[in-house]
Amino acid sequence: MIRFDNVTKAYKNGTVAVRNVSLDIQKGEFVFLVGPSGSGKTTCIRMLLREELPDRGRIWVAGREIIHMPKWRVPYLRRNVGCVFQDFRLLPNKTVFQNVAFALEVIGRPKSVVESQVPQVLDLVGLSKKRDNLPSELSGGEQQRVAVARAFVNRPLILLADEPTGNLDPGTSQGIMRLLDRINRTGTTVVVATHDAALVDWMRRRVVELDQGTIVRDQARGVYGIDANTGPVPRTEVGARRS
Amino acid sequence: MPLSADYIARETATNLWRNRLMTIAAVLTVAVSLALVGAALLLKQGAANAENYWQRGTQVTVWMKASSSPSESHAVGSELKQLPYVHACSYHSQLADYREAKTLLSPGEFQALTVKTTPASYRCTPNQPQYAQAVYNRFNGQPGVLKVSAPFSQIHTMEETITVLQWVFLSVALVLLLSAGVLILNTIRMAIFARRREVSVMKLVGATNWFIRLPFMSEGLIQGLIGSIVAAAVVFGLHALLNSLANPNNPGTVLYQMRLSGWELFGTDFVVVLIGVLIGSVGSAMAIRRFLDV
Ligand SMILES: Nc1ncnc2c1ncn2[C@@H]1O[C@H](COP(=O)(O)OP(=O)(O)O)[C@@H](O)[C@H]1O
Ligand SMILES: [Mg+2]
Repeated sequence: MIRFDNVTKAYKNGTVAVRNVSLDIQKGEFVFLVGPSGSGKTTCIRMLLREELPDRGRIWVAGREIIHMPKWRVPYLRRNVGCVFQDFRLLPNKTVFQNVAFALEVIGRPKSVVESQVPQVLDLVGLSKKRDNLPSELSGGEQQRVAVARAFVNRPLILLADEPTGNLDPGTSQGIMRLLDRINRTGTTVVVATHDAALVDWMRRRVVELDQGTIVRDQARGVYGIDANTGPVPRTEVGARRS
Repeated sequence: MPLSADYIARETATNLWRNRLMTIAAVLTVAVSLALVGAALLLKQGAANAENYWQRGTQVTVWMKASSSPSESHAVGSELKQLPYVHACSYHSQLADYREAKTLLSPGEFQALTVKTTPASYRCTPNQPQYAQAVYNRFNGQPGVLKVSAPFSQIHTMEETITVLQWVFLSVALVLLLSAGVLILNTIRMAIFARRREVSVMKLVGATNWFIRLPFMSEGLIQGLIGSIVAAAVVFGLHALLNSLANPNNPGTVLYQMRLSGWELFGTDFVVVLIGVLIGSVGSAMAIRRFLDV
């Protein structure tokens, strides 16, 4: 579903944000991208959305090579890749319903689709009762749920989340993780970039650790730090789990 | 992908309303500049129409010297008659010209004149105005001919005045059109800035570039269109006013001679609206290119 092949990305100021990264993520997987601030997590996500282009290497998303993809195809790529951020990015003057509906309207979905899909996804994230509230009338956790609903309403193949719990307290964060887990169980591939150790430890999912732009660990049922009991799982074991 | 017209219309209306002061400024500038363009076009066509009148009336007068002999006069008369490009000639005797001069000249000037010193004349209408010059070339300086005259200069002055007026209108209009374009560009820039959050969400969820651009594009287009429709109405009104002032019982007046047909008016309004739409599109296209990176 997602494949990085020896990807290197340097920004214009010379910072090498991602160095020789190769990574395979299968359909339906739930993957944590962890590492300290500045280790290149956001850069990886931006490249998956083709907001940034790598300097070397190739990237496949949903079976398509996206580096040489013509510009006009990029919107169609993004329809297959939902994304949520630390700062929610909701439109402040639209209600919950309108925020989610907006994502369908602007890709030309007919009214009938909007009217059936939006209530359904609001139900999924547990915000049916707040559909007519403005974002400013919601808690942080609720706002992030709206953002997840907006990212998922078009049923993308992949859901990316960049520090989705960065602004939330631990209890609320767990709620968001449970929601992402539920979405993952519908068959959607989920990639979460985070440095929230407690959450990663709690979820026990595949962990890919970046440090200064290189992958230093890829563990099937990992925790945030290196697990003293099991130690780092070798890559072959990750592959074995998949097959 | 089905572009929902409903969505575009709603977004455009919202943008226009949010930016209403700038919108009004842009629309008014478009209207004033295009009204000037329209007036200049009316003037140009009016002058072209009137020119037909003026030239149709172009008369060449061959004045005979008072001292000329009857045979000289006769020679000129018969030669004029044979010219293929001269429509008709009439002979005015010395007495006839003396009487005419009495009505045209001031008493002081007339006092010096007697029938004997008044030149007789042939008044000729050429088939086409430009042949007046040919008649002039042929008879000026011929024995017995005093001079050949045609109202070249009068027509010239009239046309020159209209040409100057036309250029003044057009250059003022050009400056105003430029500022109208810049105003539209600026309103679109402000609209893009006001909606940068929406635009970034649209990009994120995979709206196509055209879907993102279209509301801004149509906003500029509508500003140009409304402005030009106002201008077209002004041009229409101006035309109606001039027409009502032109007295059909007196075909000699300039206004009557300059009057336009319905088709000419329609064509002018069409050009005005076309330019308005063009200005709106170019203004918003430039704003989108510079300020909306999708
Ligand atoms: N737009 C940018 N221009 C220059 N350098 C950047 C830019 N974005 C990120 N970087 C640098 O790239 C490195 C990786 O950043 P990032 O991918 O944001 O890491 P993370 O998300 O893991 O904190 C950092 O050193 C950061 O300073
Ligand atoms: Mg980051």
